[in-house]
Amino acid sequence: MLDVQIWFYTGCILVILGSIATVIGPGVKDPLVRTLNTEIPAVGVSLIFLTYNHTIALLTFIAATAVITLILLRAIVRLEEMGVDL
Amino acid sequence: MIVPEVVPQLVVSLYPVAIWVGIITGLIGLLGISYQKNDLSVLILTDIVGVAMLIIVAGVATDLAEALILPGLVVELAEIMAISEILISREIRKSKRSRKDLAPTSLSFNMEILETAPVFIAVILIAYGIFLSGFTGGAVAGGGILFYVLSKSARGLPVELFDGLAGVSGIAWVFWIVGFLLFFVGPGFWLLGLMLSAFGLLIKVASKVGLIGMLTREEFKKE
Repeated sequence: MLDVQIWFYTGCILVILGSIATVIGPGVKDPLVRTLNTEIPAVGVSLIFLTYNHTIALLTFIAATAVITLILLRAIVRLEEMGVDL
Repeated sequence: MIVPEVVPQLVVSLYPVAIWVGIITGLIGLLGISYQKNDLSVLILTDIVGVAMLIIVAGVATDLAEALILPGLVVELAEIMAISEILISREIRKSKRSRKDLAPTSLSFNMEILETAPVFIAVILIAYGIFLSGFTGGAVAGGGILFYVLSKSARGLPVELFDGLAGVSGIAWVFWIVGFLLFFVGPGFWLLGLMLSAFGLLIKVASKVGLIGMLTREEFKKE
């Protein structure tokens, strides 16, 4: 039998490491890298939701994260096309 | 003891950890925002602060927490969408080139799969969303609508449709509230109230997510 707490603590570590990586990680001058780094805390939060059996919240979170990534990537692409100094 | 006996011991033992992780993540995100000069980076870091908020709410580990996470997610989504639009339109105003010049041009690939696959996937997603009903169903069906609109990259959307979608959304909201009231006014009709709420919320959320696609379409129309 797997210990439930493993998932919770893995999620916590992923969230903290991922948020540090998003703020001062390598290559975050590039907004694309920064956006992709936000996926790490997203996976951590998914694991925490999984620990608490928040099924509907987990499903909606996955959908919302996908849409948020889509919006951010669209903003990055549009701004790059305009030649804005990012 | 403040915590009732019915709360499992596991949840009680994890609660302080969840709160601390939430606070630390929030601090990291806000510190990052405080020394960023780039607006786009600030927008991306807002996502991290949202994650911290979700962890603190999730730590309560009840149905109430789950019910609070869902609106939190939608508010975060709407906020990021609005700010990204503001950033883009501000840069369009600043730049010296004309607006038509900056509008995205659609790529024209002559491939069969681009014609048929979006319809197929969108139909499956919308059917599954209607089957799920409620908030999650709305998100899934909205994802289907968004996928269809984005992949077709259609241009020239009539404004009447845009207005009609907002009207449908309003009527769905009325269904939701009537269903909610029915729980208290006539508890005997709980099934009717539940169904009214579930499908009202389905249409409301689906039309909201679909609006992101409409926004893109409006932009193409300006070309």
